Amino acid sequence: MHYIEIRDVDFEYEKGKSVFQNLSLNIDKNETIALMGPNGSGKTTLGKLMAGILKPTKGQVNVFSRDTRGIPLHEIGLRIGYLFQNPEKQFFANTVYDELGFVMKIKGYDEEYIKEKVEEKLELFQLKGLVNHSPFLLSQGEKQRLAIAAVLMNEPEYLILDEPTTGLDKKRKDMLLNLLFMLKNQGIGMTIISHDRRFVERICSRFIYISRGEIQYDERA
Amino acid sequence: MTREHNLDPRTKLVIVLCLSTLGIAVNNLALLSAIALLSYVAASLFRANLKRTFRKIKSLIYMLLFIALVQSIFTRGEPLLSAGGFAILTVNGVERALQFILRMAIVIFSATIIGTSSSRSIIQGLVQWKLPYDIAFMAALGIRFLPMLREEIRDSLVAIQLRGIDIKNIPIKERISLYSYLFNPLLVGTLLKAERLSIAMEMRGFRAYDKRTSYLVLKFTKLDYLIMFFSIAITAVFLIISYM
Repeated sequence: MHYIEIRDVDFEYEKGKSVFQNLSLNIDKNETIALMGPNGSGKTTLGKLMAGILKPTKGQVNVFSRDTRGIPLHEIGLRIGYLFQNPEKQFFANTVYDELGFVMKIKGYDEEYIKEKVEEKLELFQLKGLVNHSPFLLSQGEKQRLAIAAVLMNEPEYLILDEPTTGLDKKRKDMLLNLLFMLKNQGIGMTIISHDRRFVERICSRFIYISRGEIQYDERA
Repeated sequence: MTREHNLDPRTKLVIVLCLSTLGIAVNNLALLSAIALLSYVAASLFRANLKRTFRKIKSLIYMLLFIALVQSIFTRGEPLLSAGGFAILTVNGVERALQFILRMAIVIFSATIIGTSSSRSIIQGLVQWKLPYDIAFMAALGIRFLPMLREEIRDSLVAIQLRGIDIKNIPIKERISLYSYLFNPLLVGTLLKAERLSIAMEMRGFRAYDKRTSYLVLKFTKLDYLIMFFSIAITAVFLIISYM
């Protein structure tokens, strides 16, 4: 049994305009995968199918042995962290602090514990000076770092990161890479959707290239 | 001009104005039913996509039915259904609820008629009706932003759930605070988008001057005048019957 199983999946946003036909792919929990391909090849769609955000038109996507059609999104969210291509899409709060702490607050965690966890992430992602800023008014790189930090607040066991290096300079990319290595060593698997070949080559062990909705190659390093 | 018919969008606006005026002004149930039927026939004649509209406003329909039910329960009058001397439903209450449902049906059916014209041609119609250009332009932008707002609400809901929150099963206090979180990105996002859009448009040399030429110029045909005349005449007849 694989962690994510994509079985003979067809998917279309509009009737008659197919993105995938008969796509099959298996992903294990401990794998670090690079999902690459040109613009419009279906990388983000595949990521969203894997996270249960989109449901296949035909076929089946199983996440931890359950069909995504039958799992509420919040259950998937508890175990899989998903980073949106546009980080703004996942922001809600008025401040960076709230953005990181709001899930724990809603879940009724103790204020002191929340503060400790939030500060840990602020430190890790060099966001400390921005704690009272609006997430929407940060620079692109800061938004990206905050979005990744927010995803990690849930302590997911698997990550799907859609273009995580967008807007990051070399120093921040290296920092992100170190962090991803740390998570990898903790046994957290991940799929990184990226155009940044250099970046993914440094951390990924499996490379999937898709074009026009078809897997062109699927190689392990 | 419209996709299916060569009717001027202003003619449609007149039809919608007539139908919605009747929906508000008329109280008689039989007349309201006739107007609702008329609106349905008009929407069908314009080939408005009623199925799609109903699918889109499904949850709103449940809310309308709920409001109608509450209205029928809390309106006093001759009891229709009572338990232990307490009137649960009254004749007035049921009448009010039916009036409310019929009025909403008229508004929904007539609104779908406008949807058969492009927003661009509706705005042009308003401009040619001497509506100040900046107001017409604001209305056009508003229409353009609506689907984006819907998409953003959907995205925010997905993102909240992906953070492990079961929206349906959290206590009411937390749920209210969660919805305030939903409102926040919507408001900020819209303001930022509006700002970016205005900058981008000005950079392309756009200003909302009152005097401007337009590639699209609408012209009434004989059919438009005929339909507008009949719409106003029918409205007058209904109003006279209703207040006689």
